[in-house]
Amino acid sequence: MNSSTFRPQLRAIAQVRWRMFTHSLRTTKGAVELFSRIVISAVIAFGGFGGAILLGGAAWYFVSHQKPESLALLLWPVFLFWQMFPLMATALTETIDSSDLLRFPMDYRAYVLVRLIYGALDPATVLGSLWLVGITLGIGWARPSLLPMAALVLFVFGVVNLLLTQMIFAWVERWLAQRRTREVFAVLFFIALLGVQLIGPVLSRYGDRSNVAFRQIGQVANPIQSVLPPGIAAIALANVASNKVGQALVTFSFLLLYAVVILRLLGIRLRAQYRGENLSEAGVIPSQRVGHAFVALGWRIPGLPGDVIAVVEKEFRYLARSGPVLLTFITPIVMLFVFGLGGRAGSAGFLQHWPQLALPVGASYSLLLLTNLIYNNFGPDGGGIQFFLASPASFRHVMMGKNLAHMGVLLIEVLVLTIGVSVMSRPPTSLMLLITFTALLFAAPINLAAGNLLSLYSPKKTEFGTFGRQRASQTTVLASFAIQALVFGIAGMAMFAAFYSPHLGLALLSFFALDGTALLIYVLALGRVDAVASRRAELLATELSK
Amino acid sequence: MDTPAIATTNLTRSFGDLVAVQDVNLCVASGQFFGFLGPNGAGKSTTIKMLTGLLAPTSGKIQILGLDFAEHTVEVKRQIGVVPEGLALFGRLTGAEYLTFVGRMYGLDRETTAKRAAELLEFMQLVDQPKKLVTDYSHGMQKKLALAAAVIHGPKILFLDEPFEGVDAIAAGTLKAMLQRMIARGATIFLTSHVLEIVERLCSHVAIIDRGQLVAQGSLEELRTGVTAQAPAVVNPQSGGKLTLEEIFLRVVGGRSSEQELSWLG
Repeated sequence: MNSSTFRPQLRAIAQVRWRMFTHSLRTTKGAVELFSRIVISAVIAFGGFGGAILLGGAAWYFVSHQKPESLALLLWPVFLFWQMFPLMATALTETIDSSDLLRFPMDYRAYVLVRLIYGALDPATVLGSLWLVGITLGIGWARPSLLPMAALVLFVFGVVNLLLTQMIFAWVERWLAQRRTREVFAVLFFIALLGVQLIGPVLSRYGDRSNVAFRQIGQVANPIQSVLPPGIAAIALANVASNKVGQALVTFSFLLLYAVVILRLLGIRLRAQYRGENLSEAGVIPSQRVGHAFVALGWRIPGLPGDVIAVVEKEFRYLARSGPVLLTFITPIVMLFVFGLGGRAGSAGFLQHWPQLALPVGASYSLLLLTNLIYNNFGPDGGGIQFFLASPASFRHVMMGKNLAHMGVLLIEVLVLTIGVSVMSRPPTSLMLLITFTALLFAAPINLAAGNLLSLYSPKKTEFGTFGRQRASQTTVLASFAIQALVFGIAGMAMFAAFYSPHLGLALLSFFALDGTALLIYVLALGRVDAVASRRAELLATELSK
Repeated sequence: MDTPAIATTNLTRSFGDLVAVQDVNLCVASGQFFGFLGPNGAGKSTTIKMLTGLLAPTSGKIQILGLDFAEHTVEVKRQIGVVPEGLALFGRLTGAEYLTFVGRMYGLDRETTAKRAAELLEFMQLVDQPKKLVTDYSHGMQKKLALAAAVIHGPKILFLDEPFEGVDAIAAGTLKAMLQRMIARGATIFLTSHVLEIVERLCSHVAIIDRGQLVAQGSLEELRTGVTAQAPAVVNPQSGGKLTLEEIFLRVVGGRSSEQELSWLG
C-alpha cells in the first residue's frame, strides 16, 4: 500500500463523508434524520453497554469459578448475533457501493481497507465489539493477569467476526446475482433444511433410543464447535487460565489461521469487485436473434383496475429477482426450522414448549421483515418514480398495488409457516388461526398506512440487487420502532386477552373492533397519498433519482 | 385560430431565492416539431418538468390541448408521453415487461398492450435479448425503450428531455425515424437538446431560454430574420448564405468564453 497516496485518499473520503453529513443538516429532513440517528444510536448503545455488562459479569463468574471453558457459552451467542443480525436487519446495515471507489486511483489494499472500515461501522459490529470488550473486562476483573492475553484473543475473534460477515455478504451476493447460481443456491438451501428436518423423524422412529442418540449427537457436536472460531477462542482462553501457555498459543494460532483463510476468501470477491466485476445477468444471457418480439399478456386479477394489477405484477417480478430480498423473506421459515430442531433435540425448544405461539410469532416476524419494503415503497423504483409522477395513474392505485403485493408475500409466508408448524409440531387450533389472522388484520393495515405516508415523506433509494445500499432512512427506522412498539403492544395484549379470557367471544369482539379501526386508518391514509405525493413530487423525484 | 397544443402564461418557478424560470409564455401549435433550447442551467429541464407534471409551477398557467393542467391533471397526462431526463425506467424488468407495465398504467387493455409492445420492440430493434433486464441495457437501448414506453398509449404530445444525449448514430437514427413518423401522423413533439444540428434538422419551430427567461421563439426562418435584423453579420458560406441554428443560438444567448489559462494542463 502506497501510504503517501492512501492517507490523503482516506482523509478525502472522511472529509467528503463529513461534508455530506453537514450539508444534509441544511434541510429539515436532514435534521430529522440526525435526530433519528441519535435516538437509534442511543438504543444501540444501551444494547451494547447493557450486553457488555451482562456478558462481562458472566465472564467474571466463569473465570472466578474455575470454569473458563464455559466462556464458549458467551462467545457463541456473540458470534451468531454478529453473523445473523446484518441479514435480519438490512435497514440498519450499510455497505459501500464499490463502484463509487473504483473511479479513483486507489490501490487494491487501500480498497480492501476502506471496505473493512465501512463494514466496521455497522450496528452488529459495534454491538459485537462492545460485548467482547465486556467479556474481556470481566475476565480481567476475575484474574487481572489474564487481561492482556484475553484482550488479544478476543480482538482476533472480533476480527474473524468482522471478516466473516463481510465474506458471507460478498459471496451470497455473488451467488444470488445470477439466475443459475441463484437456483443452485436455493436447491442447496432447501436440501439443507430438509436434511435438518429428517433428523427429527429418524430419531422419533427409534423411540426411547432418541435420548441416547441425542447424547451421541452432543458428543459429536462438542468437538465440532470446539474447532469453530467461538470454540477455539474459548479454548485458548481456558488454556491461558490454566497456565498452559504452549497450548494456548497453538489454539490461538488456529484462530489466526481462520482470520487468514476468511480474509483470503473475502479477498477473492474483493479482487473481482476491484477489477470492475459486473454481477448482472447480461453476460450470461445469449443473444437469441429472434425475428419477432413475443410479449406475454399482463396479469389478470378479477375486480381490480388495470393500473393496480400492473403494479402488483411489477412488484412481484421485482421481488422474485432480488436474491437478498428473497433471503430476507425466508428468514422466518428458517427460524421456525431452527426452533423446531431445538424442540426435537429435547432442549428448551420453542415449538415444544409453546407450540401454539409458533404461528403468531412467526407471522409477526414476517410482517416485521416486510416493513423494510412497506416503509420505503418507492426505494427500489429509484428514478422510476418519475414515471409514476408523469403517468395518469393515481398514487392511491399505485400504493394499493404495492400494498397488495406485499400482503401477498405475507400471506404466502403465513401459509408456509402454518404448514411448517403443522408438520413439525401440530396443526394450529382454529382459535389460534383466527387470533393470528385477526392480529395480522390489525397490525398489517396500520403498518401499511404508516408505510404509505413514510414512503412519501421520507423516501430513500435502495438497490434490490445487492445487500448494500438497502439502508432505509433513519427517520423511517425510528418511526418503525415506535409504530411496532405500539402495534405489537396492543396486538399482544389483545391476543393474551383472547387466548386466556373466560369470555372468549368478548375478547374476539375487541379484536374485531381493533381490526375495523386499523382498516379505517388505512383507508384514511390511502385517501391522502395523492395530495401528499403531489405536494412532495419534487422531493420524491430528487431523492429517488440520486 | 386552432387551440395550441401547449400554451403557458407567465410560467414561473422559484427554488427559494433562485428564480429558475420566470414569466415564460410559450405557444406550440398542434403538429409542430418544437425545439426548446438554452445553455446549461437556463431553465429547460425545469420548464419541461412543469409541462409534464413532474414539478408544480410557483405561478402561471399551463394549458395542454386547451385543458388547464392544474384542473385536468389526469386527463392531460393521458394525452401526453414523456421521456424525462432520467428516463424513469424500472431496471429489474425486461423490456417487454416494462412496456406491458406502462401500457396497463395508461389504461390500455392486456391484448392491445401486448400487441403494441411487440411492435415497438421490433421497431426499436430491442428483440434480440428478450430476457435481458433493463438495468443491463446499453444507454442507447434504454433511450429507445424509454421512447417506446412514452408512445405506447398513442399520445398527442410527446415531451423529450435530451433524447439524443449519449446515443450513437444507429440508435439516434431509430429515434428520429420514430419521431418523424409521429409528426407525419399529426402529433406534437416538444424536445430539449444540446445537439443543435439535430434540432435544426428536425424541428420546424424553436424557443430559446436563457437565465430563466424566454429570449426567442418562432420558426427557424423567423429567428434568422429577427437576429439578422438586429445585427447583420458575416454568414458562413457553407450554410448556404443562411445563419445556422448554432449561430442564431450564440447570438441570442451571447457566447461566453473563459479567459483563464490552465498552464498546468499539457
